[in-house]
Amino acid sequence: MAEARREFVLRIARAAGVVPAVLGLIEGRGEALGRGDETDMAVLDAAIVIEHHAIALYDAGLRRGLFPAGLRHYAVEFRGDHVGHRDTQVAISEERGGRPPEARSHYDLGRLEPGDAFLRQALLIEVAAQEAYTALISRIDTRDYLLSAAFILVDEVRHMTVWRRVLGLKIY
Amino acid sequence: MPIIVSTLSARALASTGRRLFLRGAAAAPLALLAGPAALRATDYASASDVLDAIDRREADVDGRLVAIARAVAGVEAFAGSVRADHARHRAQRHRLRRRLKLSAFAPPPPPASPDLSLATLREAQQQLVHAHAEGLPALGDAGAVDLLAHHMVDASRHLTVIDLWIEAEETRG
Repeated sequence: MAEARREFVLRIARAAGVVPAVLGLIEGRGEALGRGDETDMAVLDAAIVIEHHAIALYDAGLRRGLFPAGLRHYAVEFRGDHVGHRDTQVAISEERGGRPPEARSHYDLGRLEPGDAFLRQALLIEVAAQEAYTALISRIDTRDYLLSAAFILVDEVRHMTVWRRVLGLKIY
Repeated sequence: MPIIVSTLSARALASTGRRLFLRGAAAAPLALLAGPAALRATDYASASDVLDAIDRREADVDGRLVAIARAVAGVEAFAGSVRADHARHRAQRHRLRRRLKLSAFAPPPPPASPDLSLATLREAQQQLVHAHAEGLPALGDAGAVDLLAHHMVDASRHLTVIDLWIEAEETRG
């Protein structure tokens, strides 16, 4: 399962053109990058790509009514969080002269089925996001981005834990 | 006192967990809000300050959870799981202190008769999460950031469990 999750986040990142050194960090392969402005920009790009993907998934689920009615409020909340994460990191990137990756025109989200099947897809992207931020956070050099990334990671854990609970998976 | 409390840039906290925490706390009728202090972040001056704050807040959560588990049936499994995570975190922080050549810190004992409300437990847990998140920029050591980020993931999960617990209690009326 952990391997499948890692492969999932790597697939998203690869498709979006995340640099190999950051892919290496997500894969847990050694000291691929030092700390510095260049690394911050690479981490920002990778994080923005994942946020774009999460927003696309929640958009599809909300638009097509794939979330169970009683859980829709969580989906709206979590989508809003991902939009906030994306906007925060786009602003940080642009402030530093970066060109943050834009959302793709189409996302291959696989078969979209309502109910638990879709909740499992939402859980997958949340776990991927959580694992990516956890893997990358120690490479961030600047204090304000590190602080933002820390609070973003807190959000991702909340999302993941709520979906795990809803799906009857262990949360403690 | 080396710990400075400052107002962070709007960008640093906008759209992140801090906003969620504030919204979550406001939505919970039992929550004791920290008032204006909740809008400010602690700007830690050193790794030692961060680790001391985490030790203090973790002991506070432990004390409250032990008391609640004694008083409320069915809480022991969660309380035991949290305590086990905390014991592991403490041991890892102890090793981190040694590696960074920082002195040990003995947190004050938790109050003998702590408030047993979920709202105050949540507030204590939130402060523990914030101590991790706000502490990361002060660590100045990639290994320390990596370790405390992993601990923060556990602490955030515990906070969400408490949130879900509060929601369940509210639904039950």
